[in-house]
Amino acid sequence: MRSLSRASALEARPANEPVRRLHLPQKLRNLELFLLLIACFINASSVVLVQLGALGELDPTLVLLGTGLSVLVISLHVVLRFVARDADPFILPIATVLNGVGIAMIYRIDIADAQSGWASAAVRQTVWSALAIFSAIVVLLVIRNHRVLFRYTYIAGLVGVVLLFLPLVPGLGQEISGARVWIRVGSFGTFQPGEIAKIALAVFFAGYLVRNRDSLSMVGRKFLGARFPRFRDLGPILVVWALSMSVIIFQRDLGTALLYFGLFLVMLYLATGRLSWVIMGMGLFLGGAVVASQTLNYVNGRFTNWLDALNPAVYDADGGSFQLVQGLFGLAKGGLLGTGWGQGRPELTPVPQSDYIIASLGEELGLAGIFAILALYLLFVARGFRIGFAGQDDFGKLLAVGLAFVVALQCFIVIGGVTRVIPLTGLTTPFLAAGGSSLVANWIIAALLLRLSDTVRNQPRLVV
Amino acid sequence: MNVSELTLLVLRIGFLLMLWMFIFGIVYALRSDLFGQRVRKMKVDAASVPAAAFPASPVPAAVPVAAAAAAPVAPLTAPAARASPAAQDIPGAQAGMATSQNTTRLVITSGPKAGTEFPLGTETITIGRSGDSSLVIRDDYTSTHHARLMLWHDEWMLQDLDSTNGTFLAGSRVTVPTKIPLNATVKIGATSFELRR
Repeated sequence: MRSLSRASALEARPANEPVRRLHLPQKLRNLELFLLLIACFINASSVVLVQLGALGELDPTLVLLGTGLSVLVISLHVVLRFVARDADPFILPIATVLNGVGIAMIYRIDIADAQSGWASAAVRQTVWSALAIFSAIVVLLVIRNHRVLFRYTYIAGLVGVVLLFLPLVPGLGQEISGARVWIRVGSFGTFQPGEIAKIALAVFFAGYLVRNRDSLSMVGRKFLGARFPRFRDLGPILVVWALSMSVIIFQRDLGTALLYFGLFLVMLYLATGRLSWVIMGMGLFLGGAVVASQTLNYVNGRFTNWLDALNPAVYDADGGSFQLVQGLFGLAKGGLLGTGWGQGRPELTPVPQSDYIIASLGEELGLAGIFAILALYLLFVARGFRIGFAGQDDFGKLLAVGLAFVVALQCFIVIGGVTRVIPLTGLTTPFLAAGGSSLVANWIIAALLLRLSDTVRNQPRLVV
Repeated sequence: MNVSELTLLVLRIGFLLMLWMFIFGIVYALRSDLFGQRVRKMKVDAASVPAAAFPASPVPAAVPVAAAAAAPVAPLTAPAARASPAAQDIPGAQAGMATSQNTTRLVITSGPKAGTEFPLGTETITIGRSGDSSLVIRDDYTSTHHARLMLWHDEWMLQDLDSTNGTFLAGSRVTVPTKIPLNATVKIGATSFELRR
């Protein structure tokens, strides 16, 4: 009886019912809204806890810091309901929690440094978040299909390289603590164009590799079980290597160079599936880094600080391991559960709100908190990989994985540096650290991943 | 306002718990991605689909056939062909119908892309010449919106969307939504495909 009624219900449907999905409930968006509300609650309560812990009372700054970001992300959510209904529902809540926890920690350090008003880094970070989320909305509105980016492969490459070398232009570039990676933007502050360059370069690498991967993967001779490319196909890897090395030499920025080169290698491996490229690339980079550590003073110093951090001579030296060790002390003080929001002394470490925000969070939230933050990054990156995995066109696949990987690699470089796994290099922790350019870049990455996940779900599985 | 040490301790642990609950909430929502959709689908199956009634179906030997109809848990393996007055009687129906549990992929068996396949989820697969179809077949015999495969109570159904040249299931033209047997050939234009385990 039951199957009878089922079949008649089927027959009752018009046979030529339109195939487009028009009036389905937005399940994914509703899930996103639910997670987003929890995320906003977490952010608000972290600001409340900072005030209770550091001031012992609640004051009106709370309203701006506690709700500013929430209003922004919910407006982004509303935009998604209209322009990317099938986008991934987890990316936005994860980015929101990371951004909000970062603002709370920056605010906590402002309290310690007795900064308020426009001098407060937390207020500026909130304003930058607004700008970043606005850029994300613009990206979602302008780029309705990621394949549009494929047309601008070489323009993206050019833009990436120009942005990368913009700080070297005399009069425009700004040197801060040795590295020359900032440009001055009026009186508003400094901007790190290299952060935006990583997106442009990811687009360029994806487009370039989709166009040329056959010649990179098919030919070459076998040696020691791996197929090595012909010499004439080595061009691109050598160009990117030279680019990274010039960043190390001229901009004195090890982390950025490692980031770009790692991004290129991973995308090359994805496109060709050949381990020999990775082996060669890592060999080239390690060779370059060893040479740099012998010849360039600042690289040599980084290595000494890393290997011999607890030596009193290194600790006290100018540009020595003071900061690194101070961060480690903070992490140790935090222990398993941390000192609690507002009750540690993270301000004792130099730049506790940007490069060292992970050490500050480790002190106040403990190992449990650090692992929670790492788990959020893991989920974010895993969503990116998943989007790449589900994608059908090679450009989208490469771009999604490249963008997710650049976030992962940046986390590894910064957090690995702070926890003394690798030599310390100055990069920002994505979404967390104080710094406008980094926020803008990472929110644009989030927007691109949202766009990619939306088109992935709507596109044909197979074209015959 | 003075906050006691104890309150701060409780709030601190509460915050960490909240953070982790958020993470586990996301992981819980992702579980079908991480572990596959099988677990959840079986519950749906037990609730909404009547248990298999045919002795030919692979019902576990311990469960009597008569009791299986009333049993709260449906057999784990897919129920075999059921008597369905409305669905057409197609050759090979005894071989087992394609359900969301026993079918994982769609394989193109003839035509220009013979040999390619793609995994089936739970979403509807639309077939046609238009670019918004899930399976785009661009030949002269295919209509813009030709046919679709959809899950109806956990079983894959083939529905012809009033196409000009017709959709053929195991050689006979499909006029009403029809259950698809596993490994039966569906032919659309110059392309044919099968649903496989």
